[in-house]
Amino acid sequence: MQAPAPTNSGGLDRRTLLLGGASLAGAAGLGAVAQSLIKPTPVFVAAGQRYDGPLHQTIADGLLATGLDPAWLRGRRVLLKPNLVEPSRRIPHMTTHPAMIVAAAEALRRWGARVSVGEAPGHVRDTEMALVESGVAEALRDARIPFADLNYEEVGWRRNRGRFSKLPGIYFPRSVLEADLIVSMPKMKTHHWVGVTCATKNLYGILPGIKYGWPKNVLHHHGIPQTVADIASSAPKTIAIVDGIDCMEGDGPILGSLKHMGLVLVGQSLPSVDATAARIMGLEPTRIEYLHLASRRLGPLDDRRIEQRGEPWRSVADPFQVLDEPHLECLRSTPEERLVT
Amino acid sequence: MRVQQQLAASIAKRPLGGYAAEGPVASEPVAWAAVALHRAGHAGPADSACRWLAESQSADGSVGVTRSEPAPAWPTALAIYAWTTVAPGRFADPIARALDWGLSVQGETMPRRDNIGHDPSLLGWSWAAATHAWLEPTSFFVRALDAAGHANHPRAQQGRRLLVDRLLPEGGANYGNTMVLGQTLLPHVQPSGIVMWALPTHDAADPRVGKTLDWLEASLAPDLATASLAFASLGLAAHGRGAAKSRPLLLTAAQSLLANNGSLYRRALVLAALNSTPGEG
Repeated sequence: MQAPAPTNSGGLDRRTLLLGGASLAGAAGLGAVAQSLIKPTPVFVAAGQRYDGPLHQTIADGLLATGLDPAWLRGRRVLLKPNLVEPSRRIPHMTTHPAMIVAAAEALRRWGARVSVGEAPGHVRDTEMALVESGVAEALRDARIPFADLNYEEVGWRRNRGRFSKLPGIYFPRSVLEADLIVSMPKMKTHHWVGVTCATKNLYGILPGIKYGWPKNVLHHHGIPQTVADIASSAPKTIAIVDGIDCMEGDGPILGSLKHMGLVLVGQSLPSVDATAARIMGLEPTRIEYLHLASRRLGPLDDRRIEQRGEPWRSVADPFQVLDEPHLECLRSTPEERLVT
Repeated sequence: MRVQQQLAASIAKRPLGGYAAEGPVASEPVAWAAVALHRAGHAGPADSACRWLAESQSADGSVGVTRSEPAPAWPTALAIYAWTTVAPGRFADPIARALDWGLSVQGETMPRRDNIGHDPSLLGWSWAAATHAWLEPTSFFVRALDAAGHANHPRAQQGRRLLVDRLLPEGGANYGNTMVLGQTLLPHVQPSGIVMWALPTHDAADPRVGKTLDWLEASLAPDLATASLAFASLGLAAHGRGAAKSRPLLLTAAQSLLANNGSLYRRALVLAALNSTPGEG
């Protein structure tokens, strides 16, 4: 794994916030491109997973299988980013399960990482409410994992390295800028506008609502696919650990139905992990615009350039229902499957 | 000392703060602190908070989210509300300039679309420049215009139309979407409370308003998050409802905030809500 440039470990002044992250983003972006040119990108898939099972071991296996060096993690600041977009106790399959978050923290802490959790819910200004409704508040308290409310932290501006949209730069919160590693921990779901939401789109939730609004409409007005790819290209080093155990199909990302898959996906390239998730869901990743854009900088979508570790994706593929909408129908790799209305 | 007075004293001691106990000073928490302190009888600290907001005002009249971040400027509405509550005469100039700015900006509009439930052609206020109007910033500006004596301004009237249009058919509201691709979306407590707080004397005849108040009252529970509890209480109190149920919950929240060094934002919201729900404790 390519180690990012060192960051300021003490107090963070404004100049550091404004200037310090460019090298981080550059290292992450160039590293992924270089890697994609040299060898296939590994993505790990584990099947038969349960929230009450030894998930920390599965996650550790996945991280090792996809090239993470435990020695590099010692003393590093790792920010876990679950998906808590709009939690409701009535719809637990909408948000990343607390057991996944605690298991990832445990796996990374065993290797000496300093782990925290951060989220800037996109539809909810009361972040405490999002934590309570998702069950994450209680889990973090019990496991003594600190939480950062990314919606309201001090922010720093970074040049937009993706340049897929016209945004000249992106504001990131302090916890993101100070992290050595961001772990995108999405729920595997369909999305009623863009088809799939997984590790790459989950990064919308690292941007502060205090600058971008609730919802983060500044990004929507600059194009959802373009800004998703921009954020992924401009953020510090990222990896993905996907909650694919109880998933959402149909009218995701909020109101869809539960689909049990029992999967955990892990990888260092967010687009490559998402491409594997999409194939498992019966969707063609190259037709999902934000993945197509993000793959130019962050890793391949082409199945021939993704090296599958663990279970082969074909053995666990089970097409997800999508809404009967023209903009979604064209994304399906299995058009014979039934649509839902 | 009673809990409500203790809470007021803790805010009066340090009326500048943010969303987190150690976070940067931010305009919205300071505005709520000014309002809550004024109503609790702490004139001096309330005035200090208002002066901080006035000193943070940009040349164009807007008030940014923090001093170092002059954009976006949605807290301008809350600054107007604070100044008009605490000392409208003394802050007449900042109020006038902030109103000029607030009336010069609007959310992006678009024609109605089949796959979206709300009417996107209605004028309101957005979180950030050049984006669509949403429920909370529109609520804040509607209430600010009301407080500044401009309840009948065409922008205030259209803003109230937008707020009612964004209520869900069975009551409650979220960030400002009602239906997408034929599905009714979920209500959330905080925005539902804020919109009811912004519509205390207007449009109460619409059945969605009554349903929203019923839903809010039913949502009051011990595990409700602090800001949601405070806004729900403020919204219900604006319509003369909910005090018997909300006040004990607010007092418990106040005790917890005092014990755990809660943020200025949460302490100010809870005090503002307690001020609006008279009773013992």
